[in-house]
Amino acid sequence: MWNHTRDDTTQGLGCSQSTVVRGLETLGKVQKLGKWIPRLLSGDDRQHRNNICTQLLSRSRRFDWFNNLVTGDEKRVLYINHSHKRQCVEADVPVQSVPKPDGHLMSVWWGFLRSARKRRTGVYKMEPTDGVIFQSRFLSTLAIGKRKISEEILPPGTHGIFRQKPATCDHLSLGGYARVAKQSFGNLLSRKMATSTSQTSVPWPNTKDDYELGKVIGVGEATAVVHGAFCKPRNEKCAIKRINLEKWNTSMDELLKEIQAMSSCNHENVVTYYTSFVVREELWLVLKLLEGGSLLDIIKHKMRVSNCRHGVFDEATIATVLREVLKGLEYFHSNGQIHRDIKAGNILLGEDGTVQIADFGVSAWLATGRDISREKVRHTFVGTPCWMAPEVMEQDHGYDFKADIWSFGITAIEMASGTAPYHKYPPMKVLMLTLQNDPPNLDTGAEEKDQYKAYGKTFRKMITDCLQKEPPKRPTAAELLKHPFFKKAKDKKYLQQTLVAIGPSLETRVQKASKRQPGASGRLHRKETGEWDSAEGIAGELVGAGLVDDRDITAITQNLQKLIDQRDTIKVVTFPLDSAVNGGEPLDDRALKGYAQISITD
Amino acid sequence: MPLFGKSQKGPAEVVKALKEAVNSLEKGDKKAEKAQEDVSKNLVLIKNMLYGTSDAEPQADIIVAQLAQELYNSNLLLLLIQNLNRIDFEGKKDVAQVFNNILRRQIGTRSPTVEYICTKPEILFTLMTGYEHQEIALNCGTMLRECARYEALAKIMLYSDDFYNFFRYVEVSTFDIASDAFSTFKELLTRHKILCADFLEMNYDKVFSHYQRLLNSENYVTRRQSLKLLGELLLDRHNFTVMTRYISNPDNLKLMMNMLKERSRNIQFEAFHVFKVFVANPNKPKPILDILLRNQEKLVEFLMRFHTDRAEDEQFNDEKAYLIRQIKELKPIPGH
Repeated sequence: MWNHTRDDTTQGLGCSQSTVVRGLETLGKVQKLGKWIPRLLSGDDRQHRNNICTQLLSRSRRFDWFNNLVTGDEKRVLYINHSHKRQCVEADVPVQSVPKPDGHLMSVWWGFLRSARKRRTGVYKMEPTDGVIFQSRFLSTLAIGKRKISEEILPPGTHGIFRQKPATCDHLSLGGYARVAKQSFGNLLSRKMATSTSQTSVPWPNTKDDYELGKVIGVGEATAVVHGAFCKPRNEKCAIKRINLEKWNTSMDELLKEIQAMSSCNHENVVTYYTSFVVREELWLVLKLLEGGSLLDIIKHKMRVSNCRHGVFDEATIATVLREVLKGLEYFHSNGQIHRDIKAGNILLGEDGTVQIADFGVSAWLATGRDISREKVRHTFVGTPCWMAPEVMEQDHGYDFKADIWSFGITAIEMASGTAPYHKYPPMKVLMLTLQNDPPNLDTGAEEKDQYKAYGKTFRKMITDCLQKEPPKRPTAAELLKHPFFKKAKDKKYLQQTLVAIGPSLETRVQKASKRQPGASGRLHRKETGEWDSAEGIAGELVGAGLVDDRDITAITQNLQKLIDQRDTIKVVTFPLDSAVNGGEPLDDRALKGYAQISITD
Repeated sequence: MPLFGKSQKGPAEVVKALKEAVNSLEKGDKKAEKAQEDVSKNLVLIKNMLYGTSDAEPQADIIVAQLAQELYNSNLLLLLIQNLNRIDFEGKKDVAQVFNNILRRQIGTRSPTVEYICTKPEILFTLMTGYEHQEIALNCGTMLRECARYEALAKIMLYSDDFYNFFRYVEVSTFDIASDAFSTFKELLTRHKILCADFLEMNYDKVFSHYQRLLNSENYVTRRQSLKLLGELLLDRHNFTVMTRYISNPDNLKLMMNMLKERSRNIQFEAFHVFKVFVANPNKPKPILDILLRNQEKLVEFLMRFHTDRAEDEQFNDEKAYLIRQIKELKPIPGH
């Protein structure tokens, strides 16, 4: 499957096949069964690879995508074996039958001769878990980015975010739930959570009939919905996440991992998992109900109802929330887990001011310690671009716990300014800004000078510490807890006043949760038939990212479509760019001056 | 050596202290709270020797070797597992981490802990019964899967009577426990190809009569997972003999034909991959051939409309076309 890429590389670099082959071998690819597959690199190999890349780069500055072409660090390769099952092969284990790649590998690159500002030769290269980029993964990654980004403008309720606000009494016909709900709404501030009435002796039951489902409080992707619920035998409220397994297209193992990650946590700042069971074709996850909703809900509400131009929350509130989040993270990390999606939308609040980290949808396990049989770093592209650490985007050397610290720093900015620094940009652009620019700070997204001058030096220093591009320089969660900024932190009661009391009314939130239509986020995806959803969508994405001039959108759409429609016969299309025609410089379709090339490799 | 505070305890002392603490925890005397604390503390000490901490590297090999030896001699691994439910939440995870690390330890090509456990199979059996107890099930699962990576240990588990308890564990109502048990079950049945094939051949009747219950389970996940695993088992060339035997039984064919018609598309699809083996068999026994012949037209019609939206899955479409052709061409054996 790499042959094509190899040919193109030869062509692009203007060197011989054997040079490229040699290069690829040194870069960590071995030829097995006639295919190029990645193998695990040693530290020395990696160093060597960097040297080679540097050399190649100095030879032709235009080919900095070569950096990204390298996929040598992966330990596992995904194949489909004869029984149609995906098979994960360890790097040193031979493949068991003729490997057949899952779909198509797609890469896109071209040269630009105009506009220096946009002169980025870009290969859209995001490394998925298992080494090679397949078309479906490529698209879904784009889609993930798009979806998560759009969260700012779309009604809330993306995958796995539990918007936990109970339904009001009049929404409910069921007595038990209503009773408890009434109690706790009677006096919102002074009332303890209903958990105090629970009988801890009764274990959480595994039958549907023991629960009364309340209003929908969050909708994930088409596969999941979260309800407020009441557990009758325990006389206690809870949240139930219902996942439709028939529509669940990731493997069951992924799901199990998520649940195991949850159930191996027992910490007041990490969302509490009670039990899970199967109801017909659905999986029901029973979780602690946090009634304050997510921090993002509260931020957005506050920005709507008051003037937050010079900052959303005061430093004491930020410090209090973030200290709780850090405690959760410290626990998480000591457990050998990386959360990978820390952001305000994943931080939930209880009515009593409890702060919990939620959404384990993307959390990963990372084995710690000297253990040769396990990976020490992860190689998976997950998370939300705005909050994502540079090393996670690069997918070069893998990443570790420190990726969460970066996201934590972005979350700190989010709490002050109301949004992540690059929230205005499409995901691809965010990736590039994060990788190319200096780390963002509080003022990155500001519209005028001194807009956020109310925030002091200690706070800014804390953010700078977290947002360092070199992961080892970032402090650990435990170290951060000792940062002077967190001396400003107060207690839960303070959060009740500054956050829970001002939060959006629950009617608003329930309405919003139910308003969202599953799949309405305009995301790109492969239809079940395997057709690509929209070539136009991809082209639009490229334009949005500033990679492509918008005059070229028609040409790109057409050629992408052509490639997709005739992918059995056509693997590469090279076409002139409309935007280049008036550029005045000579065009060259081999050097890709004024031309673009898109290829599908399989 | 630290300047202040007491000097570090050696492996022998830590293991001794931990053993005493677990013993008094087991007795449940009034010092239980103190014992609980001591257990947690000493487990962390051992864990840090093996894994290191953010401030300290793991201990040198010689210390780890000493530690392992102490653990074997004191029989502490078994004791910890037997009392796992009495240990606190974090302590349970520490036990699993320590156990797995010690298990993976190698001297050259030897795995001393594997050899040790072979002489103490009770460790494995205790771990397997762990699935009966909600609060320790997942911890035991983690350790069991690590054990299952070693052929010698997998063999002991497969050939024990306790193995058949897995058919119950994979169906318990708590989803995470059931799926954890299923991954262990699957690991045992697939990891060591030759061992597994021998086991399945020798115990064909017992295993598949149990397996039948999983395929007919009320629980959607159990049904779907077990069907998928069945497909994988039958299509593994190591299991050729087992496959041949499976596909000569008309009851199995009937079951798959019913599952092709299940409401769930995922189950239909998995059933297809088992069903195709029956059809592709060049030497179909008469009862199988009879069923296929009786349903010849219906089957062709059904397959023509079966999952037509999987256009991109070439292999599936090839296989489907092949099956349709095969079924169309079926003829009764002459002379019958």
